[in-house]
Amino acid sequence: MMDRRVFVKAGGLALVSLGVDPVFLTRAAYATGRGERAADRKKILVCVFQRGAVDGLSMIVPHGDGLYYQERPRIAIPRRGNPGGVIDLDGHFGLHPSLAPLLPFYRSGALAAVHAVGSPSTTRSHFDAQDYMESGTPDIKSTADGWLNRQLQHSRSHENTPFRGVAIGPHLPRILRGDAAAIGIGQLNAFDFRGPPGARERMITAFRDLYTGDRSSLLATTAEEGFEAIKMLRAARAAMRGPAHGAEYPTSQFGRSMAHIAQLIHADLGLEIAFADVGGWDTHINQGAEQGQLANRLTDFAQAIAAFMTDLGPRMADVVLLTMSEFGRTIAENGTRGTDHGRATVMLVMGGPTRGGHVYGRWPTLSPEHRADGRDLAVTTDFRELFSEVLAGHFGTADISAIFPGYARPSERGLGVLG
Amino acid sequence: MRTRPPKLAIVIALAQCLVASNETAVAQAPPTAGETERNRVVHLLNRIAYGPRPGDVDRVLAVGIPKYIDQQLHPEQIPDTTLERRLGEFQILNHSPSQLARIQRAMLAEAQRHAERPRAEPTARPAQDRLRALVKEFQTLPVLRAVLSERQLYEVMVDFWTNHFNVYMGKGHERVFMPSYLEETIRPNALGTFEELLVATAQSSAMLFYLDNYQSVAPGSRPPQARRHSTNTMRRSTDPPDSPLSQLQRRADSIRARQAARFPTGLNENYARELLELHTLGVDGGYTEQDVVHVARIFTGWSTRVNRGGPMVFLPWAHDSGGKTVLGRVFPPHRGMEEGLELLRMLADHPATRRHVSAKLCARFVNDTPPRECVDEAAEAWERSDGSIREVVRAILVSDAFWDEPNRAAKFKTPLEFVASAFRILGADLDPLPDLATHVATLGQPLFWWGPPNGYPEDQASWMNAGSLVRRFVFAQMLATGRLPGTRSGLDATVPLGANREVLITRIERHVLQDRATPHTRRIMREQSSTIRVPATARAVILSLALGSPEFQRQ
Repeated sequence: MMDRRVFVKAGGLALVSLGVDPVFLTRAAYATGRGERAADRKKILVCVFQRGAVDGLSMIVPHGDGLYYQERPRIAIPRRGNPGGVIDLDGHFGLHPSLAPLLPFYRSGALAAVHAVGSPSTTRSHFDAQDYMESGTPDIKSTADGWLNRQLQHSRSHENTPFRGVAIGPHLPRILRGDAAAIGIGQLNAFDFRGPPGARERMITAFRDLYTGDRSSLLATTAEEGFEAIKMLRAARAAMRGPAHGAEYPTSQFGRSMAHIAQLIHADLGLEIAFADVGGWDTHINQGAEQGQLANRLTDFAQAIAAFMTDLGPRMADVVLLTMSEFGRTIAENGTRGTDHGRATVMLVMGGPTRGGHVYGRWPTLSPEHRADGRDLAVTTDFRELFSEVLAGHFGTADISAIFPGYARPSERGLGVLG
Repeated sequence: MRTRPPKLAIVIALAQCLVASNETAVAQAPPTAGETERNRVVHLLNRIAYGPRPGDVDRVLAVGIPKYIDQQLHPEQIPDTTLERRLGEFQILNHSPSQLARIQRAMLAEAQRHAERPRAEPTARPAQDRLRALVKEFQTLPVLRAVLSERQLYEVMVDFWTNHFNVYMGKGHERVFMPSYLEETIRPNALGTFEELLVATAQSSAMLFYLDNYQSVAPGSRPPQARRHSTNTMRRSTDPPDSPLSQLQRRADSIRARQAARFPTGLNENYARELLELHTLGVDGGYTEQDVVHVARIFTGWSTRVNRGGPMVFLPWAHDSGGKTVLGRVFPPHRGMEEGLELLRMLADHPATRRHVSAKLCARFVNDTPPRECVDEAAEAWERSDGSIREVVRAILVSDAFWDEPNRAAKFKTPLEFVASAFRILGADLDPLPDLATHVATLGQPLFWWGPPNGYPEDQASWMNAGSLVRRFVFAQMLATGRLPGTRSGLDATVPLGANREVLITRIERHVLQDRATPHTRRIMREQSSTIRVPATARAVILSLALGSPEFQRQ
């Protein structure tokens, strides 16, 4: 990546005299100040956002809590032992049968769940809650960047390639926006100019020159990251291959997203943080139980993640996969065999130093006196506590207040999810 | 790499824009008073239109900016024959919701038959193919209208409201509901009053289905069918249990019981919450969680005939007839559907709604973070005009903020704006039913396919990243080289390759970049084409750079 650093440095110096916005300077200074000290096998964090507020009570089912069946006469997962019944984990919690592909990872200790996790903000707006979970600053809307981007700004362990921060899809989500470079990419194999190699090379050169001089340094830097990404992908494409270890991804959009992330990891393109969205969780109506709408979404979710973990195999020792969702859903089913917006939900942590095979978090119980606003599963773990623990335990991030401003971890040991 | 046979032709009439006139343009002409007015027109056309077509700037200059704005605010008075002729090719516009529902039912039956057949046997699925083709046509409509319509501001507003009142076509029956939602709910009200638009969306099958209100019922209410079922069961309970009649009746009862188990039994808050948060007051509009519940109770019984393609129905048995209180206003009991309409009227005229929607309109027309004065002026116009969208937009277009120099070219185009403006600037003449929707989708904006209820974002931060820029460069290259999938350009006929290269560059600067090219961009277009011997290649490079330039990404 020497050419990139040299380029950015030269570009930065040239533009300083013209007066440019500080974002560019931050990126340039950062890019030039990087060392080469990182080890070969670098740590990677993959975040999966279940947009739309997943019903955590259906993913990790509190089947030992009697109120669960009482409050959900038509959408509860059948008791264990029954057809389509819950897969018991510890006598109290159980897995939705659609999540069965994840069971081996739970049993082997690679997968942990954290229940009753959520935001201190009480908003039940999808968009505000997503915004807070992505900015990492609940109830503060003015935060400019996302917490994954702040982690990229903070970390010095990876070389600065355009693939350090990647979101699968055409949009760069709020969580990855900020001063550190990050890219939104859909189809890896279509990410290039068209035509024979000579023509494609000419287009890159031409556009590179064009954007070098743009008055908005942010646009110039962003474009440069794009050109660099094209070049790296060209070099890597020949070596790219299908999934390893017999992994089979579902043909869904989420399946493709996870397969793309695995490819980027296999290709050693410098990936540090990857992000994928998976939607369809806003089950206000006909949520279903062991079968139905939510079950189908969970099947896809579990199959894609299981394929990813199989695909990476031993490499998962360096990769942590973290799932999140903006809030949970009502404890009681609503009038349309669905659930409305609630508070706490469940998040999964897999790979790397995860101490799996356990459901973490303080269980608030479903009893009415312990509910949030008398109706919803109470939040007993601030999402920032879990996210901080992942950053500290996986990346060794020491200064959590730089990632989550105004937040301090309640204890060094934390939840104990990562060993 | 994806290659597809060119299905349909786009003839790019560059002749008009690039080589029609006889003089050699002078690139270094000093700015004059006329130039300033020209710049204002270019700005106007980049905001209230999907960019200029060849000759548009001169036409607006001839009419004058104030009169042009006024014309655009009265689209019903603007002839639009070219577009209307083209719309005749769209079969989707001749399909009623009930017809679409019939096709969907046939498709489901087909899928059922398909599932029952042995795997090896290939089966034709005409209904599925037909519905898919109609959906693709429908996704093409907004692009074609953006490119061809003379009523540009109107189309911009339709796009704005389509996102403000977003409905996701990927959800179940929305394939059936969406076409009439666009044609009969959004479009007729796009420059009317906000209240009528709000009421129309609230009563649309598309919205009732998308945000689940069609199933929201008063807790404990039972549909008439279910009540009949229980009385019948009681009456027959004395029959001998083993008689054939009794067995038949029991089977019928069990079917009815299964049906009854699927009836909704209570509230669904989905629409109520998004109505307050997104459609009207805004998330900081001062409502409480209890307001959400009471709004949901007010809309109980607002439903639709889902399997028949609508229309909206009010189910008195499902309505919660108790009293409610929303934002401090008391809604007395037993008002039926009327209280929902009263609530919508109250929300439409609420000060928080005025500011929330005005701020979104200012963000669309002025700047991603619009100045407070712009929002103030728009909200005042709203109050003055009783919520006339036309007057609110007019207030924004005459505001100082709209014309302020820092706000010129300050917005990053969405994929729809980028694609439409590229076709327009080249004077593209689109052949029947071009696959325009695919191009917009490839750049990240599959139309009518945004899942969450907040609609596609409008701000630069959402659309500008390294990946999206590269996709735009590739689009620019493919358009400029005549290899856009599904299209074929007439560049050779319209831009003679023998033309002097300097003339070509100057014309592209003038007509494609509307004199907004920076000295750097001009220099790079010259430099990068100077060493290319093959004229067609040089032309492709120059035009690619122009369409992919930073200048052309902004509006």
